[in-house]
Amino acid sequence: MRHGHGWWLLAPVLLLLLAVFILPVGMMVPTSFRPYVPLVGITGGFTARHYVKLVTDSYYLEIIGRTLGLGMIVTGSTLVVGYPVAFFLARTRSRWRGWLTILVVFPLLLNLVVRTFGWIALLAQNGLVNQTLQALGLVDGPVKLLFNFTGVLIGLTHIFLPFMVLVLIGAIQNIPRDVEDAARVLGASWGSAFWRVTLPLSAPGILSGSILVFVLTISALVTPRLLGGPTYQVMSTLIYDEFLQRLNWPAGSAQSLLLTVMVLTLVYLSARLARRTGTSA
Amino acid sequence: MTAARVRSWLLRLWVALVLGFLTLPAVVIVLASFSRTSYLTVPPRGLTLRWFAAVLGDAEYVHAIAFSVGLALIATIGSVGAGVAAAFALIRRRVAGGAGVAALLNAPLVFPGVVVGVALLQFYALVHANGTFVGLALAHMVITVPYVVRAVTASLQGIDPELEHAARVLGASGPIAFFTVTLPLIRPGVAAGALFSFIVSFDNVPVSIFLLGSGQMTLPVKIFTAIEYGVDPSIAAISTMLIVLTSLGLAIAERWIGFHRFV
Repeated sequence: MRHGHGWWLLAPVLLLLLAVFILPVGMMVPTSFRPYVPLVGITGGFTARHYVKLVTDSYYLEIIGRTLGLGMIVTGSTLVVGYPVAFFLARTRSRWRGWLTILVVFPLLLNLVVRTFGWIALLAQNGLVNQTLQALGLVDGPVKLLFNFTGVLIGLTHIFLPFMVLVLIGAIQNIPRDVEDAARVLGASWGSAFWRVTLPLSAPGILSGSILVFVLTISALVTPRLLGGPTYQVMSTLIYDEFLQRLNWPAGSAQSLLLTVMVLTLVYLSARLARRTGTSA
Repeated sequence: MTAARVRSWLLRLWVALVLGFLTLPAVVIVLASFSRTSYLTVPPRGLTLRWFAAVLGDAEYVHAIAFSVGLALIATIGSVGAGVAAAFALIRRRVAGGAGVAALLNAPLVFPGVVVGVALLQFYALVHANGTFVGLALAHMVITVPYVVRAVTASLQGIDPELEHAARVLGASGPIAFFTVTLPLIRPGVAAGALFSFIVSFDNVPVSIFLLGSGQMTLPVKIFTAIEYGVDPSIAAISTMLIVLTSLGLAIAERWIGFHRFV
């Protein structure tokens, strides 16, 4: 198995990633330090003000805080909603199991814009959710569910739930059933067997599922844009506007690099943590 | 025992509710696409196919569908070629720094799509490749190739390298052994990788939206901008077509290669 062809086979992919990924992303570093004059454009010189503004200006701080907050809340909600589903799908012997799993996978493959559009139809002023709430007499008038935190939270939870469930199914399937049975035989109630045996043993899956959902949430563009509208900004939509509307590429580059550093740091930390706990999750 | 049964039924109820939640948006879109009203409403009022006719009669939509399919096909062919070669090199050949290469190949998976999009917007403007189809196709290859590498790697790890070795001993050249022995064995992985690649390219908004030149429009970006201007049932009609096609594709893929094993 010692052939010298390895690098030749890797060359196309490495060239592609170098020219169309690493180099372009790397070139944002010098851009992010260039001054920008409105109506004139990018000028020569060096400035760190785009970064300074990101960490001092309350407008940017609010957007960064909102992005991270959404990341944590969406991670928590997908975990709480998804864990029982993953537990069921991992343990059931039902012959429907394959198709039920496919039902979880289906939304993942369906076009993201289409899924988000479905939530617009559901959450609009006269949408199905508002109709139902009013018919049940739970609210007097239509509730504002779009273009705010609620809409974005529901949409992002829906979109990232399948990722969480699929990661958790893998983790729970790896736990031998015997361990739980042993706890029961030794007198543990179902609840304490779950809390003290099953749940801790699925911790690696919980960790990697949470990191995945968090990273995807803070990177998401389409759903926050369509359900949050132009005013409820997160980091991705801020970058989008900076590049396409305000044309302030230096500021947009600084914001992009900050988002990238946050994502890569999390991925790196989770990989290290997974290695230290000896799990390949 | 009764407590266990109650628990079991509560769990099933929860699973049913969550699966309902997951499929709800698709169901609502399909229903809304048949409404006679010119605004979006669920349940639909009346029954009509005029929104489907409107979409299929709209040259912009038809062009966007053709453009997206063409782009996804070209990106997929490119990433399958490059991805299968890379996966083979990483699993079957000893490459110095293989772990680093594998990590690099996975990088576009976790990278924020919007960052890739704006980075290429700036880079292409600099090298005068902005608005070109080649630039767009290469960008789509970057975001799809990790899926091919992942699926093919999983497939390659499951087959015995001795089979290819035997072919070599019996006189087959390296490429002959690969194409006649190894490739047929990893076909499910290649098929799953190609399918993922096609879907990821066909779905993409965050990269495409920054790179589309004049006269270029992908379907998801078209729907995305249409929604920003205002929602109407024709968006529900085109979405319904995508829902039906995705369901059919998934059902076929599940039957053919056991798709859920590759997710």
